[in-house]
Amino acid sequence: MIEPVEIVVVGAGPGGLSAALAAAHAGAQVTLIDSNRQPGGQYFRQPANELHGEPSRHQREGQALWQQVQSAGVRFWAETTVWGATTEKILSLNGKDVPGTIQAQAIVLATGTFERTSAFPGWTLPGVMTAGAAQTLLKEQRILPGKKILLVGTGPLQLVLAAELVRAGAQVVAVLEGAPIFRNGARHLSALWRQWERIAEGANSWLTLASHRIPYRMGWGIVSASGNQQVERATIARLDDTWRPVAGSEEQIACDTILLGYGFIPFHALAQWLGAIMTWQPELGGDIPVRDSNMQTSVPGIYAVGDGAGVGGAALALVEGEIAGIAAAAQTGHQTGRAAQRIRSLAPALAREQQFQKMYAALFTPGAGLYALGNNETILCRCEEITLAQVRRAIALGATTIKEIKSITRVGMGDCQGRMCSHLIANVIARETGQSVNQVGMLRPRPPLFPTPITAIARTPSEQMEVAHP
Amino acid sequence: MNASRKMNAPVVIIGGGIVGCAAAYYLSKSGVQVTLLERSVLGDEASGRNGGGVRQQCRDRRERGLAMASVRLWQELQATLEPDIEYRQGGNIRLATDEKRLSDLRCQSEEELQDGLPVEMWDQSELRRRAPYLAEIFLGAKYCASDGMANPLLVSRALGWAAQRSGARILTHTEAFQIEIQGRQVTSVLAKDAQGEFVIETPQVIHAGGPWTPHLSQTLGVVVPIVPARSSLAITQRMPRLFDEFVSSHDLGVYARQAREGQIHIGRSVSEPGETFDQTTPLPTIEKLARGAAQMIPALRGSNFLRTWTGTLENTPDGIAIISAVDGIAGYLIAAGFSGHGFCLGPIAGKLLSEWLVEGEPSMSLREFRLARFQK
Repeated sequence: MIEPVEIVVVGAGPGGLSAALAAAHAGAQVTLIDSNRQPGGQYFRQPANELHGEPSRHQREGQALWQQVQSAGVRFWAETTVWGATTEKILSLNGKDVPGTIQAQAIVLATGTFERTSAFPGWTLPGVMTAGAAQTLLKEQRILPGKKILLVGTGPLQLVLAAELVRAGAQVVAVLEGAPIFRNGARHLSALWRQWERIAEGANSWLTLASHRIPYRMGWGIVSASGNQQVERATIARLDDTWRPVAGSEEQIACDTILLGYGFIPFHALAQWLGAIMTWQPELGGDIPVRDSNMQTSVPGIYAVGDGAGVGGAALALVEGEIAGIAAAAQTGHQTGRAAQRIRSLAPALAREQQFQKMYAALFTPGAGLYALGNNETILCRCEEITLAQVRRAIALGATTIKEIKSITRVGMGDCQGRMCSHLIANVIARETGQSVNQVGMLRPRPPLFPTPITAIARTPSEQMEVAHP
Repeated sequence: MNASRKMNAPVVIIGGGIVGCAAAYYLSKSGVQVTLLERSVLGDEASGRNGGGVRQQCRDRRERGLAMASVRLWQELQATLEPDIEYRQGGNIRLATDEKRLSDLRCQSEEELQDGLPVEMWDQSELRRRAPYLAEIFLGAKYCASDGMANPLLVSRALGWAAQRSGARILTHTEAFQIEIQGRQVTSVLAKDAQGEFVIETPQVIHAGGPWTPHLSQTLGVVVPIVPARSSLAITQRMPRLFDEFVSSHDLGVYARQAREGQIHIGRSVSEPGETFDQTTPLPTIEKLARGAAQMIPALRGSNFLRTWTGTLENTPDGIAIISAVDGIAGYLIAAGFSGHGFCLGPIAGKLLSEWLVEGEPSMSLREFRLARFQK
């Protein structure tokens, strides 16, 4: 019933592809799993088909890496989700023509992130979406998310996305960077050493925006969105150091689309289920697994790489993936003599990317003010349509923890299992009850990781269900 | 020990599950300023992790009377508690797939009617007519219209918070680790919270610690024969209204109910082997839940599981609770070992404990629930 596999890599973004390649090169039998139809993850996301134009540079890089992975003999299970995991390194799968349950000798988790959002008045209006959703539309379908686009959030990815939108023909009305970079940026400049590609990409994006006279406003953020049935305008304001809007600085800006790019939250549920010890690192996105220098978690044979193990970008994910791939292969008996030396040779690249990660975290981690924008009518949990007022009522009744507030309001109990709202709720509860986010805690996902068909879980075709005694 | 941290209370309740919270609720309504100690948050264990069934039928005859009395309390609680505990009497259907099961149900129905519980036997065509959403594999069923369900996530909390508003001191994230006696009388409870250890002086303890009760009772030298067992549940995504009853089949090993919001809760109606406090949900159990649900209710074959979870049952050797004083220790009452029936019986257990302390004796006999029955 349970199919044994040697090394399984979960997630085919940069970290997962790199891990799969390194492990396969060392001689291991590698199975790579991804819920998407095509490998690449968000960073290397490929056009849906040839009709969708010439691939970009990232897409070409991704294609090249994928070709190497294929010729190394890696088995790829596309459109397959991992819905359950146990400490015996058993994974439950839902996909076409894949086993229902596998047991691996080593597992590399490269599960990526989901996007941080902010619950401001109007954030559920049609026209407000995450930067990642817009990027997916653009990369996969070459579709623009709207006509007059406002980007709000933090980090250089905003610049890159804005430039891509402009080049694709959109009107970008402004890019708001929440972080006060000019005040904090100078002391982090050394982290840019040898980040030439990133500097070039940033400069290039910057030039695109400048040539179209698109305002880029540092230390500004969104306060609310409004419109009849659909976003028509945004109220924006200058932010203080904790990202709270400065009273009196508000301005109105007309737009039909608002893209939220507030960074990423590691998707760590599988690491947790597999028994890995977690650590709370808000600057790296939240809870992440504790790892050693081989990217191994506290559980022998379970590795975690890329943004899902601490947000750090694709370049870091590629290095981490390679290290984990070598280490995992050594653990299952391949090139055990050479592994340590090969991992050591990656140390300079790893250090460089980690330094960049630190700079990024120091500059672009949103302040607590991001979670203070909602009013009583603002929805916190989109699946269950739970407002801030309902959460406040539960607190007034006696609830103090996220568990209690969840059970009273149903917040975070919807189809997304709290992926969208867990961080929002935790931050709001922390503020409302005077606790730290760490004290409040996050919602713990329960299997299945995604809503999964009963027939897939039961592994019994419908026509075989008519048996009285199973 | 920090001497400055000393409190006292006429009654200390250990355990913030439905039994402890109901006791706190009824005692504080009677004007007793209880202190309740809960190591986590209210209703966090089996009280908040069960199937939500409030059922009188198909019970051990010894606890049938309690179940019937509890249902009357459930009706009152639904009218008074906040938040709304989602209690409703949608009926309970116990299914049979073979003649043996059906005749057992028929025998039981005669006993239940004798005891004053209105139940009906349904043959196959009646079952088809009354519950067309069920698969055609069932030969018949027993039905109790006054049975029902409530939302386990809400009940203990609503009881505990109501008690708090009536003056009870509810200390969550506070763990009792020792009960002290002098002579043969309880004198205090030692507890710890985030600030450290402290003493609560009290002449009276109600110990409602679920499957963890034996660990603490041991500090008094009292052996309580309760063992843990794992109980897992699953829910589907929201579905259109399909049924109002709580339905179960011991032949398929599952039960199901549709919550107010439309999700269908599915649990195992047969006990899992193994005495364990482990609360991870075993993957084979999730498969069994999925298969059983899809077999019992064909409409579920097109549904998705949204979430699963696991709680810890507290089983006694004879499958009914211990609601009892302990010979030789004054001021110590145990209310634990409900063996999977604590959700339904919680309100009546709390009410009887309150009467015991306020009026000197409970209004219903608790003879069958004595701890001493295991010492024969």
